[in-house]
Amino acid sequence: MSLRTRVIARLDIKGKNLIKPVRMEGLRIVGDPNEYAKRYLDADELLYMDCVASLYGRNNLHQILERTTREVFIPVTVGGGIRSLEDVRRLFNSGADKVAVNTEAIRRPNLISQIADRYGSQAVVVSVEAKRVNGGWECYTNNGRERTGKSVVEWIKEAVNRGAGEILLTSVDQEGTMGGLDTELIRSVASLCPCPLVVSGGVGTIGHVKEALELGADAVALASALHFNKLTIGEIRESIEKQFPSERSQARGEEARPSR
Amino acid sequence: MSTLFGLPEKVEFCKSCVISNQRPNSSVEYDHTAQSKKSTIHFEKGICDACRTAKAKAKTDWAEREVELRNLCDLHRSRGAYDCIVPGSGGKDSFYAAHVLKAKYGMHPLLITWAPHIYTDWGWRNLVRWQALSNHVLYTPARDVHRLITRLSLENLLHPFQPFIIGQKSLAPKLAALYKIPLVFYGENEAEYGNPIGDNGSAKRSKAYFTSHRINLGGVSSDELRHKYNLTDSDLDPYMPADPSSLENVEVHYLGYYLKWKPQDCYFYSVEHGGFEAAPERTPGTYSKYSSIDDKMDDLHYLTTYIKFGIGRATYDAAQEIRSGDITREEGVALVRKFDGEFPTRFIEELFDYLSVPQFPKMTLDYFMDLADRFRSDHLWDGKRLRHVVTD
Repeated sequence: MSLRTRVIARLDIKGKNLIKPVRMEGLRIVGDPNEYAKRYLDADELLYMDCVASLYGRNNLHQILERTTREVFIPVTVGGGIRSLEDVRRLFNSGADKVAVNTEAIRRPNLISQIADRYGSQAVVVSVEAKRVNGGWECYTNNGRERTGKSVVEWIKEAVNRGAGEILLTSVDQEGTMGGLDTELIRSVASLCPCPLVVSGGVGTIGHVKEALELGADAVALASALHFNKLTIGEIRESIEKQFPSERSQARGEEARPSR
Repeated sequence: MSTLFGLPEKVEFCKSCVISNQRPNSSVEYDHTAQSKKSTIHFEKGICDACRTAKAKAKTDWAEREVELRNLCDLHRSRGAYDCIVPGSGGKDSFYAAHVLKAKYGMHPLLITWAPHIYTDWGWRNLVRWQALSNHVLYTPARDVHRLITRLSLENLLHPFQPFIIGQKSLAPKLAALYKIPLVFYGENEAEYGNPIGDNGSAKRSKAYFTSHRINLGGVSSDELRHKYNLTDSDLDPYMPADPSSLENVEVHYLGYYLKWKPQDCYFYSVEHGGFEAAPERTPGTYSKYSSIDDKMDDLHYLTTYIKFGIGRATYDAAQEIRSGDITREEGVALVRKFDGEFPTRFIEELFDYLSVPQFPKMTLDYFMDLADRFRSDHLWDGKRLRHVVTD
């Protein structure tokens, strides 16, 4: 578990557009991703997800990424349609700091260790699309469209063993609703996740952010609440700073994080 | 080369969306027999009527149309009694229609549903959410009669969805007459999706769709259904069209004529205002999980359109989303090539059980595939391979 808390702006991409689905469906076009990225310069990190890459069997983020990283100098994680080390190499060359894998990693779990061996664990994020099923959660792929039959809890254990440096956990049921995170899901995963846990899907208030951090998440990724001007990174940061100091404030030698 | 169902011999794909010229227009199902010739979507200079309608619609003065809707509602609005019927399934479109009529236009809708063949769990939960808005009538035809007519439709027309379509179209006007409710509001006009453009300049639905003198169900005449299959008048009643004389004081309108109708926006609206639930996985044969998700028979329906016309569910979905600007044609082509015609395994055993009625041999995968082969037109199929697939 990391000692620092991050607030991440999540940008879901389709083609050249920033989009915002609800429950990973209805891929509404919001605007130019680069313009939105520039609004989130005070975030600890940006997360770019190509939502249709696996669906269409292509990977399209290089151009958008190159444009953004010329103007934005905060860490960027990129995911969507990554199938090989060659895909990973191209994304790093285009300015990505970390890559997130889901569909292909489920199909071929060895991909996780291949990336970790080549670039280090810190470079590989395993993205988990978790949907509630009878009494538990199932992993989904292709942006919440395909069931896999894999249990989220079991898959996260396996992903960590294979070298995942970070888990991005998105609730398919809450995604895009701004109605709150799936707290039971976070509770079930936080204790078994030795690496940083980023949670996503459902944040609409500062209370939701705090709740996730209190449950053991290391970072929270937001999309709708930022894109639709319900929250700003600045106000989130201000409200949580005392309890959960950020990487940035620590780097500046500000107040140390209290023990949990 | 000979073609079945009067389909155009030369296959052409719209340059703007992904639909082909093999797409049949909506027609009066009571006239539908094994010998029927289809009229198909009209193309002009490589562009289909549905795309041209969508383009023309972009110029609509929606403010003016909304005034028309307000006037219509003002004319019929009651002090509390039912003043309109909203037919639907509780899906995203009918949720939006009922909610907006009630909340924004002060109407008092009666919600009605013609039951699907077999409810999906999430379809049923969405229906229950819809029922929060108003009183609701769920009309369910006798199961074994419905199964028989569905099997006849499959055997004679390879059209297992026909009994649903017939009930859906005729029920609302009949209940409007019964309850003396002056207005029926459907959602979108079929012409949006490619019926002749002439159909589309009016808010009102042609009475031909729900009144008719010649009655065939499952490709079988009502006389034959009575004599050969021993169905009674009450068995057939749910499928019969309204008596035209009872409809003199009933107007059937499309809300999509008055309000800018975008399926994706109906989804967001119904999630926000009613907790609408998308399916837990994409529907077989397509990529989407939010439209037409309440009936398990849907899976088989779109497989049959793929067999008869070479047009599967992904083609219908992608064509509509291209027209509403949600995806590009390039994306649509990729989706069609990836998903169209995928065999729907998830509910197939349950569907075959449903179709296995005593009057016919047990429905099995082999029986179904042999039957389906009789509906493959040579101009579309080379064995089990489509001759023409949409390209960029």
